[in-house]
Amino acid sequence: MTPKLKVALAVAVTCALASLPWLASATILQFSISTLLLATLAQGWNIIGGYTGYASFGNSVFFGLGSYGTAIAMVQWHLPFGVGLVFGAVLAVVFALVLGIPVLRLRGHYFAIATLALSQVMTAIVSNLEIAGRNTGLVLPLLNGDPLFYELSLALLVLATLTVFWIAHSRFGFGLIAIRENEDAAASMGINTTLYKVLAFAISGIFSALAGGIHAYWITFIDPVSAFDLSLNVKMIIMTVFGGPASILGPVVGAFVLSGISEILSSAISSVASLFFGAVIIVAVVFMPRGLADVLRRFRKTGWRYFSENVKKYRL
Amino acid sequence: MQLLAQILANGVLLGGLYALMALGLALIWGVLNIVNLAHGAFIMLGAYVGYYLFSLFHIDPFVALPVSMGALFCLGYLIQRHLLNLIARAPMFNTLLITFGLDVVLTYLAQMFFSADFRTINPGYAGANFTLFGITLPLVRVLAFLVAIVLTVALWLFLSRFRVGRAIRATAQNLGAARLYGVEPRRLYALTFGLGAALAGGAGDLYGVVSQINPYIGAALTAKSFAIAIIGGLENPLGVVVGGIFLGIVESLTALYVGPTYVDVASFGILVLVLILRPNGLLGAAA
Amino acid sequence: MSTPLLEIRGLSKRFGGLVAVDDVNFCIAPGETLGLIGPNGAGKTTLINLISGSVTPTTGEILFEGRSITSASAFRRARQGIGRTFQIMKPFPGLSVLDNVAVGALFGTSTTAKALRVAREEAREWLELMDLSRHADQRADELGGPDRKRLELAKAIAMKPKLLLLDEVMAGLNHVEIDDVIEAIRKVRSTGISVLVIEHVIKAVQSLADRLLVLHHGKQIIEGAPDAVLADPRVIEAYLGRRRA
Ligand SMILES: Nc1ncnc2c1ncn2[C@@H]1O[C@H](COP(=O)(O)OP(=O)(O)OP(=O)(O)O)[C@@H](O)[C@H]1O
Ligand SMILES: [Mg+2]
Repeated sequence: MTPKLKVALAVAVTCALASLPWLASATILQFSISTLLLATLAQGWNIIGGYTGYASFGNSVFFGLGSYGTAIAMVQWHLPFGVGLVFGAVLAVVFALVLGIPVLRLRGHYFAIATLALSQVMTAIVSNLEIAGRNTGLVLPLLNGDPLFYELSLALLVLATLTVFWIAHSRFGFGLIAIRENEDAAASMGINTTLYKVLAFAISGIFSALAGGIHAYWITFIDPVSAFDLSLNVKMIIMTVFGGPASILGPVVGAFVLSGISEILSSAISSVASLFFGAVIIVAVVFMPRGLADVLRRFRKTGWRYFSENVKKYRL
Repeated sequence: MQLLAQILANGVLLGGLYALMALGLALIWGVLNIVNLAHGAFIMLGAYVGYYLFSLFHIDPFVALPVSMGALFCLGYLIQRHLLNLIARAPMFNTLLITFGLDVVLTYLAQMFFSADFRTINPGYAGANFTLFGITLPLVRVLAFLVAIVLTVALWLFLSRFRVGRAIRATAQNLGAARLYGVEPRRLYALTFGLGAALAGGAGDLYGVVSQINPYIGAALTAKSFAIAIIGGLENPLGVVVGGIFLGIVESLTALYVGPTYVDVASFGILVLVLILRPNGLLGAAA
Repeated sequence: MSTPLLEIRGLSKRFGGLVAVDDVNFCIAPGETLGLIGPNGAGKTTLINLISGSVTPTTGEILFEGRSITSASAFRRARQGIGRTFQIMKPFPGLSVLDNVAVGALFGTSTTAKALRVAREEAREWLELMDLSRHADQRADELGGPDRKRLELAKAIAMKPKLLLLDEVMAGLNHVEIDDVIEAIRKVRSTGISVLVIEHVIKAVQSLADRLLVLHHGKQIIEGAPDAVLADPRVIEAYLGRRRA
């Protein structure tokens, strides 16, 4: 496919998606909003986890900060939604800068665990804050406008995807990939690793926070446990890893496919969705550790051997 | 003063159990380089083994302890042997992810078979206390503490005195070391993971005696075990004991002086601080 | 004499009880090649780590182009013109060989933000020089040992450094390959850059170095013209002492 054709196709798909509110039922629209938000979150995680190689469990904190930033601005200060969104994003950036700098010095497991612990700390802090409504949370003003939320979410996903596209083709992104591949070598070749990592963390955080803000206004009710829910972070990871980390469309495809399947499953047998997620992770990690994107690239050449070769490569 | 002593005693007793919880996680992490996110789920399963043995057959939870441990050993052995060995050489992130998948599956199955209701193991002596120097000590907590310490020492002896134990420790330094001790690596991996799971099972059985259980307790317990393993360091089991007791005391003090809702801020805040300032653990060699 | 490119003053590094580098002083002039030799564990790699900023010194000072860089971070030193290779090679395993080198061209001492395409074109030239062109599209972790060594060198050269620190880039190569690498280093050097080269292959140091510095137990025991240094009894003893041990 020529680049022009690709752009045309991308625009066409986006337009088709944008027309959904006029075509789909209310239930489908709701499902689509949450899927778009999940895809945005996965795309955000892709920047820090996929490109930079830092397995963040702190992205649900960004989501929570975005939710609470928006909610506090709207409920406590009576500011408009747009200002709330920006406030939430600012909180996320502050978090990324203040805590990112020390925590991004940790590598491997240690970074993952530190962010995991931070998310627990944040939940606990927020549930003690008067302005955040403590344990009970906040109730936002009601806005009946699913089409609006849908278009907003879609626009955010497009923005996130364009950002990832830019990262994949820029000097900045090249630096992030070098950091992922070998951080010492990256530094010794002139890459400001601290700055790059913190920027990646912050950009990743902005998208999570914006998604959180939209989600809060849409759902009209937030509380600490659901806003900082760690399993949301895990979903971002699974969708990214399933679709293909460090690819431009992988996380989006991962989010669409997995949300779709889990929606169908859970309407057939309720609550089996979580079991499904667990099973998908296990199977995907064993047989396609580099995600759907890699399967599509390589399957044509290797055929079914692709899966057994993955196992052979990593088994004891 | 009296109050402080009481708080410290509570903290120490809680900490002993915490240490046992973290011990298996630290063992698996240190030797196999797997951070087992399903560790809390193992603890939860161990607790249910104890619960059902007690409620169906009236077996005392302290007698049921070996059964809990045995059951979880088998589960852990099989999981490592037939699943985790498949990705033993994959990047650490893959193992993190797959054990998370295991956690989700085990939690789901537990909820399906055991229901989401809270349960407790309530032997006749559950409410019994005794007093020492004016400090009130709940009997079950003291027993749980003692068993936890005995198991920790037993693990330490096993790792330093037995051939298989030494092979496990050598593997922590070098993947191929198992062969030098005449043990096949695949089996050694499975044994180690089984052992870690067995410790989780034992901890779960004791946890069920001192606290309420349901299928969802796992995640928080995994996080706590992490915190303890990090604070104590991975090098030796005694570090984990110190880490556990430290966390137990911090939590008790925070609950009293700051407020019970800040307990998690304290424990996880300390975890983050330790990670940033002393990544090898409070007791480990300086970074 | 003009200001040296690199000046090391009383540099020491202590690891716990071990003094890996002990009060080392020397200079490298612009365009000069200094050979650094010494038995295993002498502290050669540690010295390179100190200069490149991977390790911070216990005491002492490092000046680059007359300015102190003692507390500058590794990436800043790289931007100022210090390029290095790692004895334990650090390729970007998942990237293509071409992109490995392109990182050097894109970052390194380059001040203008160039396009990825331009960096890749530059990288091709360095691959050509290092005889790696046919591997350009392979993943770096698929390369064999000797090619990896060459890649390590190509990555550092692509940074267009003023000072190149080479840590045993010829270890494990055969005679023909060593001659090729020496030739390549000569070519790069002819653009006027300085080189600090650690090598156990005496033939290579002898043919490349203008001066030799010998390190033993962290101390510099002698410095001077290559032939004189290699004939010095203290140097012979340092090496023989090692062999007997
Ligand atoms: N990070 C470190 N921590 C502790 N000791 C270290 C560290 N790095 C190096 N050493 C010790 O410092 C001494 C010098 O090591 P170095 O690697 O600099 O030697 P070398 O001259 O490069 O040896 P070789 O020829 O084997 O490469 C050795 O005894 C080594 O064990
Ligand atoms: Mg060396």
